[in-house]
Amino acid sequence: MVAKPIWNYIPPALIALNTLLLAENWYLRPQSAGSWFVVLLVLVGMTLALVLVSRKPKEEATRREARGSVRRGIVTAGLILVISLGAKLAVGLGAVHYGDIALRATMAIVGAFLAVTGNAIPKTLTPLAALHCDPAKVQAVQRLAGWTWALAGLAVAIAWLTLPINLAEAMSYLLLPSAILVTVGQAVWLRRAKPNAL
Amino acid sequence: MNSVFKALSDPTRRRVLQLLRIRPMSAGELSDHFAVSKPTMSAHFSVLQNAGLIEAEKNGRTIVYRLKMSVLEEALLGFAQTVGWDMKAQRGARRATLKSGTRLRPLKQEV
Repeated sequence: MVAKPIWNYIPPALIALNTLLLAENWYLRPQSAGSWFVVLLVLVGMTLALVLVSRKPKEEATRREARGSVRRGIVTAGLILVISLGAKLAVGLGAVHYGDIALRATMAIVGAFLAVTGNAIPKTLTPLAALHCDPAKVQAVQRLAGWTWALAGLAVAIAWLTLPINLAEAMSYLLLPSAILVTVGQAVWLRRAKPNAL
Repeated sequence: MNSVFKALSDPTRRRVLQLLRIRPMSAGELSDHFAVSKPTMSAHFSVLQNAGLIEAEKNGRTIVYRLKMSVLEEALLGFAQTVGWDMKAQRGARRATLKSGTRLRPLKQEV
């Protein structure tokens, strides 16, 4: 019998932990039932996705890769939920007397997630034969998108950890749409550019 | 990460990465920019490939190299370029000093 790697146990463990935290939060603050119900739906969705990707053990490489990316997504979402639900619970139990900590922690994690994702954008390469545009332009767009999202994510995370809430909110409203505009603008420029042979 | 530092420590490899920032290039095109033999260039390419900083793709009869650097790795390249990070040169100089038989004097002599 082949032992399962520990990685296989992390997504279900995170879902179980989040369910526990959600139940405790719901019990402590039933007046926010609407919010807790949305989190419950997210957890149900994560569980369904996990069950679906865990069904067939022997699959081709591309499917295995897709399964891995779904698992990574579940782990990321699970970690974000664990930290925000944990912070909410700590505030609810009176262990932390700082009401904004859950919001700050969640937004800082979202910023960090954006930074990590942006960092990896230039590493994802499409085979040259499958490209419909000039490879140099595709590379330029990927590099710019990577830098834009890495810096925007980092700035958002730092803003939510250090600035007052209203200022951090304003920074997020300024930075994230700007990052989207830069990325979309570059993509439009790429589509309009004539393809050149390598 | 160690392989990335090793790859970035050499000025030739850093120059290769800078050239690939402009556009993907074939092995021949890249080699034309350097006054070194093809086997040496090949060794440099393989170090960069092992570090995951470039990717080779066969395009007909030529091999095309493409940049595959994350934002953090690119920032490291910029830093290495700015401070003139050259571990190989430092090691070479140290080896030369040792070969020439120059003995290092102790900093403090006991009285």
